[in-house]
Amino acid sequence: MSDTLLQVSGVSKCFGKARVLDNVDFSVARGEVVCVIGPSGCGKSTLLRCINYLIEPDAGTIRVNGAYVGREPDMSGRMRRQKASALDRVRPRVGFVFQQFHLWPHLKVIDNITRGPIKVRRVVRAKAEADALRLLERFGLTEKAHTYPSELSGGQKQRVAIARALAMEPDLVLFDEPTSALDPEIVSQVLLLMRELATSGMTMVVGTHEIGFARQVADRVVFIDGGRIVEQGPPDELIERPKHERLRLFLRSIDSRGEAASASR
Amino acid sequence: MDLDGAVFLDAFPRLVVAAGSNLKIAMISILFALIGGTALTLLRTVRWKPLSRVIGIVIGFIRGTPILVQIFLFYYGLPVLHIDLAPITAGICAIAFNSTIFITEIMRAGLAGMDPGPIEAAIALGLRKRVIWTHVVLPQLYIRILPPLVNEMTVIVKATTLLSVITVVEVLRTAQQIGNTAFRPLEPILAAAAVLFIVNFTISRGGRLIESRLANRRG
Amino acid sequence: MAFDVTVITDNWALFARGAAVTLLVASTSVVIAFALAVPLALMALSRRRLLRWSAAIYLESFRNLPFIVVLYIFFYGLPMLQWQLPETAIGIIALSCFASSYLSEIVRGAILSVPAGQMEAARAVGMSYVRGMWEIVAPQTLKFLIPPCTNTGISMLKETSVLSAITVGEITYQGLIVQGRTFAPFEVFLTTALLYWLMTSAFAALMGRAERSNGTSRSAGQTRRSLADQFLKIEV
Repeated sequence: MSDTLLQVSGVSKCFGKARVLDNVDFSVARGEVVCVIGPSGCGKSTLLRCINYLIEPDAGTIRVNGAYVGREPDMSGRMRRQKASALDRVRPRVGFVFQQFHLWPHLKVIDNITRGPIKVRRVVRAKAEADALRLLERFGLTEKAHTYPSELSGGQKQRVAIARALAMEPDLVLFDEPTSALDPEIVSQVLLLMRELATSGMTMVVGTHEIGFARQVADRVVFIDGGRIVEQGPPDELIERPKHERLRLFLRSIDSRGEAASASR
Repeated sequence: MDLDGAVFLDAFPRLVVAAGSNLKIAMISILFALIGGTALTLLRTVRWKPLSRVIGIVIGFIRGTPILVQIFLFYYGLPVLHIDLAPITAGICAIAFNSTIFITEIMRAGLAGMDPGPIEAAIALGLRKRVIWTHVVLPQLYIRILPPLVNEMTVIVKATTLLSVITVVEVLRTAQQIGNTAFRPLEPILAAAAVLFIVNFTISRGGRLIESRLANRRG
Repeated sequence: MAFDVTVITDNWALFARGAAVTLLVASTSVVIAFALAVPLALMALSRRRLLRWSAAIYLESFRNLPFIVVLYIFFYGLPMLQWQLPETAIGIIALSCFASSYLSEIVRGAILSVPAGQMEAARAVGMSYVRGMWEIVAPQTLKFLIPPCTNTGISMLKETSVLSAITVGEITYQGLIVQGRTFAPFEVFLTTALLYWLMTSAFAALMGRAERSNGTSRSAGQTRRSLADQFLKIEV
């Protein structure tokens, strides 16, 4: 049980009349790298945002390392919404990397990374900056420490965003299509970094279109369509021998794109 | 806080009638201001530096000074020039002049944002300037500037209450008179506020309705 | 009809006092109005219906009324609540409340102009709503605030003239006194007007500098000349 880092049970979400997530159950073990794939609008992004409660699911529970996120059982066992302060304490355990990076433009790179640790985890500034510089060095971005996000390329911005998430020392990191907003040549930069992160033992859930990445790095691939998990399993199995028709169609549509991309890598 | 409900309610009949004066003044003012504003805007398209500079100064003056002071200038100043106008007329002149300036500025902003395409087409078709103004530019412009115009209308209605200071009998002055005779100044003013609230609220909602009806004709 | 300068020079002390009072009232009111506007804006943006509706009632009430009426309501109303205050204080309170309704809409617009992802990223890192607003959203609202707040500031300066109705000793009131003494309306009210014009111009220039130092890029206007310019471009 202590090996299960993330437990998602019965999560559903409707936006108006559209049912975006339908009773999703899924769990992630410590150190596991899970890639979530599926067509646009399948609920990938919503699911990821439900995990750290940026979006409130209509039903279901989420537990990270045993701690409840968003809704917790009260004394009689009924699920009640968590108080804002409790939620704020749990959130840092889950890192989130956005498709649009969402770096804070009015802060320098190093401040972007250290703001969270200083204000939320109450780390002393000197230590936070030292840790940040170490992360930047690991990502090859040391000389950009005192520049503003507007001066960075897309790939650099996303790497800083990943550093910002890691600076909070999360138990796991969620990635919402981290490379979709990047130019094709730069995509590999970020994927390389994510792969290195995976090998170092970080637990990751990645919503992505990059099947090649999924194949190489993921321990498990989850296919979501219409708000439900249709199929999941080891990448080779899923991608080579898809069982469901919808997955087969999806992979075929990706293939024409994917082959061109992986050829250039 | 003890409010006399009777004074409050009794004031309404007289105040509603008095508010009619405010509306009358406002209507006359905006009529003159629309005509004057359009004329001034057309005048501003003439590229003659001295004229532009003078107009610029006048606009700066009207925009940079309080309307109350402008009202005093008309009310106290015109008699010195041997122009004797009734207070209400002086007031209308002041408000209309003020509004003319603001409307020409609204029109300037509206023109700057317009799509030049239809106009270029009209020029290419050989239409004369006057025709282009009256058939292409102005109709589109008025639809475009409807929201700020409605807002200007509420500004004018609010400005008419300032005329109470120069002895014009309108809703605020009437409320003060009622307050003086009843020795309860607050209740009539609250009633006047209610009347004015309803008037302005109606104008802005009405404006929004017209705006949505015309939405599909916008360029 | 000659312009009698002695009217102004003999009474310059009154004008000076008026200018001082105007500046005092205007600056105090701006500060208080802004302090009221921020919580109002947050209320208007809140998810709780009660807060939204309370803010809406406050805003609609002030926005549909002329300031002079609001002023009289405070002038006669505050003493009834056992608040005996000098007229200047009443004037400041009235102007602050009145202006806060307009300012709160500006603040609300500025907050909404900051991309939603910024707050998301802040929450994702574990910051609370308050912390996120303070550290991340608020600093980014500045560039959206400066232009509309400049206009509001100028309006507030001009609106102080209405305080003459409750005998606050600002510029217009002093002007009326001098007019009563000298019966020289042009000299008096042109001077009065010029004093306001000076203040509003200085304020606009100041805010213009603040806008530039804050890094707002004045969009280099379209230099593409078109035939339609003869209709659409009016020299400022």
